[in-house]
Amino acid sequence: MLVFSTLLDYVSAMRIEQSKTQSERKLWLWLCVLINVGFLGIFKYYNFFAESFAELLNGFGLHTSPLLLDIILPVGISFYTFHGLSYIIDIYYGRIKSEKNFVDYSLFVCYFPLLVAGPIERATHLLPQLKRRRKFDFNKAKEGVYQIVWGLVKKVVIADSCAIYANAVFDHYHSMNSLSLLLGAVYFAFQIYGDFSGYSDIALGTSKLFGIDLLKNFNYPYFSRDIAEFWRKWHISLTTWFRDYLYIPLGGSKGSKWLKVRNTFIIFLVSGFWHGASWTFIAWGFINALYFLPLLLLNRNRKNLDDFTLGFNFESIRIVFNILITFGLTCLAWIFFRAKTITDAFQYIKRLFENGIFSEQYFNIERYNYELIPLVLVFIVAEWNSRNQIEPISGKFSWLKLSLCLAAIVALGVFSDYKEFIYFQF
Amino acid sequence: MKQFLYFILKIVALLLLTMGLLDVLYTTVYLQSNSRTKIDYLYNSKDQNYDVVFLGSSRVNNHFVPKIFNEQGYKTFNFGITRSRLEESALMLKLMVERNYKIKNLILQVDLNINTNDHSEAIRSLFMPYLHRSQIIRDHYKTIPEYNELLYIPFYRYLHYDARVGFREMYASLVHKRTNALDNEGFYPLTSHAGKMVPADLSKYYPKRNVAYEEIKAICKANNINLIAMTTPMCMSTINREYFNHIKSVYPEIHSFENAVTDDKYFATCGHMNKAGAIAFTKVVFNAFFKPKTQP
Repeated sequence: MLVFSTLLDYVSAMRIEQSKTQSERKLWLWLCVLINVGFLGIFKYYNFFAESFAELLNGFGLHTSPLLLDIILPVGISFYTFHGLSYIIDIYYGRIKSEKNFVDYSLFVCYFPLLVAGPIERATHLLPQLKRRRKFDFNKAKEGVYQIVWGLVKKVVIADSCAIYANAVFDHYHSMNSLSLLLGAVYFAFQIYGDFSGYSDIALGTSKLFGIDLLKNFNYPYFSRDIAEFWRKWHISLTTWFRDYLYIPLGGSKGSKWLKVRNTFIIFLVSGFWHGASWTFIAWGFINALYFLPLLLLNRNRKNLDDFTLGFNFESIRIVFNILITFGLTCLAWIFFRAKTITDAFQYIKRLFENGIFSEQYFNIERYNYELIPLVLVFIVAEWNSRNQIEPISGKFSWLKLSLCLAAIVALGVFSDYKEFIYFQF
Repeated sequence: MKQFLYFILKIVALLLLTMGLLDVLYTTVYLQSNSRTKIDYLYNSKDQNYDVVFLGSSRVNNHFVPKIFNEQGYKTFNFGITRSRLEESALMLKLMVERNYKIKNLILQVDLNINTNDHSEAIRSLFMPYLHRSQIIRDHYKTIPEYNELLYIPFYRYLHYDARVGFREMYASLVHKRTNALDNEGFYPLTSHAGKMVPADLSKYYPKRNVAYEEIKAICKANNINLIAMTTPMCMSTINREYFNHIKSVYPEIHSFENAVTDDKYFATCGHMNKAGAIAFTKVVFNAFFKPKTQP
């Protein structure tokens, strides 16, 4: 699949460039896009559509048993398909020249740090770096090592610890009280953040060892003051991909209000669907679109572009309040992302608000629901203090901070219950 | 590049130093703890005299009431541990002997656990803090695949078994947070069964000759301990109760007590009796093998 996809994009790009007429260029572009998206559709979405269609027919009393494919989803297909698509589209619009060296192009698609879970790179950004002769840069490599270590902290200390608790809550939400359900949603928010941004940090750090800068994928998203800012800071390489290759071609924020609303819903729904063939991901995208809508309609979606500092004043209280509200909304949406079905998600939320019991609860994993809170708080403080830099280790007392991180990894990390990176499944 | 290699070497050294220091810290804490598990209690005690000691899994932990024996003048303790297998029971017995326990009778549960020669990861982990300190534990585990890593890489054993002897357990031991493992002389009663009993299915079980059981027999013989090996009750709806007859064909000396208590009202689950069942069963066992030393 990977070899075929690489060859297809490589040949198509040269064909587009060599085409004499616009229609021929368009033909090669669409051929390449359709084949790429077609493979993605078959491997990732065929069973979902077949089952959903059968369920729809069943709803009308027509009982059918859909033909399902018993195939394994190729690892990283969502990521390398998007790498290839961005390359082809950039060639079509003349933003870059096609790559003649097949080895260099293959390296762009298969570059190992980002192959299975991103960041989703652009040819305009990565290819020139791959072609340039690089000299080993100690400072860059050191920066990379610090980023890898911090990525490991996020993954094995934060994400995997939170996963133990979040799984216990989500898998038995029927018997959980309001406090446990609330903490379950918060733990999952930190699990997915630690897991995915941890992977991104490891990928970016590893790449720095080779002297290559990858696109930044996270920028402390849980310190966002509104949902628009959150989406500028969460999975940046995917959001900007959709912005450049879907939202803007659809008209973006130009045109009537109706068009803006339509485009917003399209981009969020597609973004949700990109994560997996399930209604829960679509619901997650839809909820985020709903969150975004008021900001868009009131022209406030680009309000919080500046950096901020906190002090002892009313403005700071307002900022903290907005951050907490945004985080709360995000957690609510994550419930849909994590739940097995949409019904489960609604029942989880219903129980969260209706149960009304906020006492400590003992889980069947032999732990109390509140035990992880201090660790999460320490992590929040570490992230807050380093929000203007890539990771918290570099700078003053770097060896001390590095020692603490290493101690945290070995002493607080989860090793006996290894969990694969969540985004490997996408 | 040389500078970078030097930098990486420093990080590796820092990591090893950190692991070494953490290893010392964790081990020190565990060596001072004797109230969280039956294993730390056992490791930190010596020169005990017992008339009767119980060993086995949850089907000992929840089934034998030492108080009944104690009231009849027999000093008794229930060392059964939930999820423990015969391999761990054998190690516990070895530790008891090493720590100069004088035991007259050992009541050993041998029923479902004889189906396998495997070990319990959960219980094995609880012995790990003492790996460097106890030759008995080292000898017991020297054939396991990860033995060298566990023994020679500092902190690896705490990292490998982090769910059981990691930071949470170390912290709880440090602040002397008690558990109920040692209450009631080691007996942990289960509450009554609610709802319909789900039958246990033993159709995939088949008793085999068991290395750990043979080891326990040899230790008892060498140390003049009277070994009473027995099966313990399961609910009557258990699928393939024939399994218990097969045990007899492999080891004829094992006493059959699987029918000692039969009424569903005595069970919390099909494989575990509730408190009333445990009391009734313990009385049956006592009357079968012992006579009261003290008059009521």
